[in-house]
Amino acid sequence: MISVSHLTRTFGSLRALDDVSFEVAKGEVVGFLGPNGAGKTTAMRILTGYLPASSGTVRVAGFDVLRESLEVRRRIGYLPESVPLYREHRVVEMLEFQARLHAIPRRERASRIDEALEQVGLTDRRRDLVGNLSRGLRQRAGLAVALLPRPEVLILDEPTSGLDPMQRLEVRGLIQALRDRHTVLLSSHILPEIEAVCPRVVIVHKGRIAADGTPAELVAKLAGASHIRLEAVVGADPAVALRMLRSIRGVRDVVDHGRLGIHHQFDLACDEDLREDVGAIAASRGWALRELSWRRPTLEQIFARIATGASDEVEKPARAPAPAGDPASVPIALGGLPPASAATAHASSAPASTASAPATRVVYNLNPFDRGATRSLSVPKVVEDPNAPPPSTADTGPNAGGAPRP
Amino acid sequence: MRGWIAITRRELAGLFVGPLAWALLFIAVLLQGWLFVLYLKTSGGDVDLALRWTLGESWVFWALLILVPPLLTMRMISEESRTGILEFLLTAPVSDAAVVLGKFTAAVVFLGLLWSTAFLYGLAVSSLGIAPDWGALAGGWLGAVLCSALFSAIGLCASAMTSTPIVAAFGAIVLNLVFVTAPLLAGLSDQTWVRAAVARVDVIDHHKGSFLAGVLDTSYVAFFAAWTAFFVFVAVRAVEARRWR
Repeated sequence: MISVSHLTRTFGSLRALDDVSFEVAKGEVVGFLGPNGAGKTTAMRILTGYLPASSGTVRVAGFDVLRESLEVRRRIGYLPESVPLYREHRVVEMLEFQARLHAIPRRERASRIDEALEQVGLTDRRRDLVGNLSRGLRQRAGLAVALLPRPEVLILDEPTSGLDPMQRLEVRGLIQALRDRHTVLLSSHILPEIEAVCPRVVIVHKGRIAADGTPAELVAKLAGASHIRLEAVVGADPAVALRMLRSIRGVRDVVDHGRLGIHHQFDLACDEDLREDVGAIAASRGWALRELSWRRPTLEQIFARIATGASDEVEKPARAPAPAGDPASVPIALGGLPPASAATAHASSAPASTASAPATRVVYNLNPFDRGATRSLSVPKVVEDPNAPPPSTADTGPNAGGAPRP
Repeated sequence: MRGWIAITRRELAGLFVGPLAWALLFIAVLLQGWLFVLYLKTSGGDVDLALRWTLGESWVFWALLILVPPLLTMRMISEESRTGILEFLLTAPVSDAAVVLGKFTAAVVFLGLLWSTAFLYGLAVSSLGIAPDWGALAGGWLGAVLCSALFSAIGLCASAMTSTPIVAAFGAIVLNLVFVTAPLLAGLSDQTWVRAAVARVDVIDHHKGSFLAGVLDTSYVAFFAAWTAFFVFVAVRAVEARRWR
């Protein structure tokens, strides 16, 4: 349905698109994904015939967009990001204008307009001025205008930009409903959206196609392995546990992240979900589990890697800087910590008050409700502050109970 | 030409939905009506002379012609390019020429309506028992419409070249002024070739010399048609050039 080969577009010295080639089959729903300025809009404008290409050929429904532009435009429903509608007209007037532009026969017009309004759920707002519609409703009106000529190809540029989450869900639902009737090409820089709507994703970066495939394929191809995160009390010698975990069939590597309080954290690199096997070992060895989870890199991480060029973001998602609220990330040791990390542990628990407190010795608090907090031995343990928030903060706040107080 | 009429209808609807068209009509009609009475008084009751003044003999007519078409056309392309509606129109299955011609036609229809108030004065006078020269009135009206078409084309041309309506209006007004005042400036020169060259663009003379006298001369129609077509063509090219930017 859409065939793009060696498409290049330059604006002055800027290469907005650089040798882009891809095909979209009839009935496919393809998501264009890329950071702002990656060339998504330029590509769509070329597809619709609004912009000419600097070089390369683009065919839509078998017609060349440059030479047989009108034929292509007759077959395309295009909704630009800005949702261009005449603000001073009513929704139904806008649709009538579109019907005239597309030369829809007069006797069909009314029923086609009703149908388009029905499709986007605007039947009761047909007499509203476009300028008075909210952003989400205007988006839908724009979609109705694009759908009116029953285009074979629907090109939607950032159809959900500027919408609130509810409206976004609505538009997403609309697009899903359109999948059966049209070939859809949509762009977005919001990943969950693309993942939810498009079976196929084309990642565009700096004017080039960085990746093309189903979300699952992209994850598998670009991210390499998924991994299993295990946090458990494994006894005195973690090396034994490490050996046992390494022996599981399908595990390629095990990374020991060291102790987190009484628990030990491991990451097992593997391609499939081996939680059953790990769980079985844990059960047989009597390890007390705190976490056993299968972590696949998300499209988001792949995207971030492509967009930033950073490679280790996907390989080691576990080592990404953890938020301060995650007690598991605060390294704790019996006996003593290097002063620097002790200071960060303190800073993350009670920023202002303990910045200057001497943190020479840190002890692990065995109180299970303290969530593995640290406390300096040189400071006496203080009972709960009566003004402190209710105990439920122990679940949310970092190291709530055991935070040292000067 | 597909879409031409659709776009003309849309433009006219858009004009009359907004206040600008009504304001322009109101001012023009009020001014023209008041001036017509004044002309009647100063001409000592010569109806035909008063009507000629209304449709071209007076400087007020030319002032309106210099100011109103640019105000009308300034938004037509420049604002649409800013709001993105031009993207919608240029990806619709109509040619660029149809888009420009549709807008041009809408401007001409509106201005034709504006000048047709002269017929009201004719009717008013004839109801009082003095028959005006209807042929000269119709000729003057046609000439006024042709002048308006030329100035609308200039306005559209300016509108297609910028994204700011005010800049478009300003540019068009300046160009219109050049068109109208060129013969006056050429009068200061004693070089015959300058006068001959300027006579080719002398809008006032072409209007007064033929239409206002009630003579329909095809060479004078061709003069307006040629210049109008030239500016429409430039406007179409300017719209096309937007794609390449």
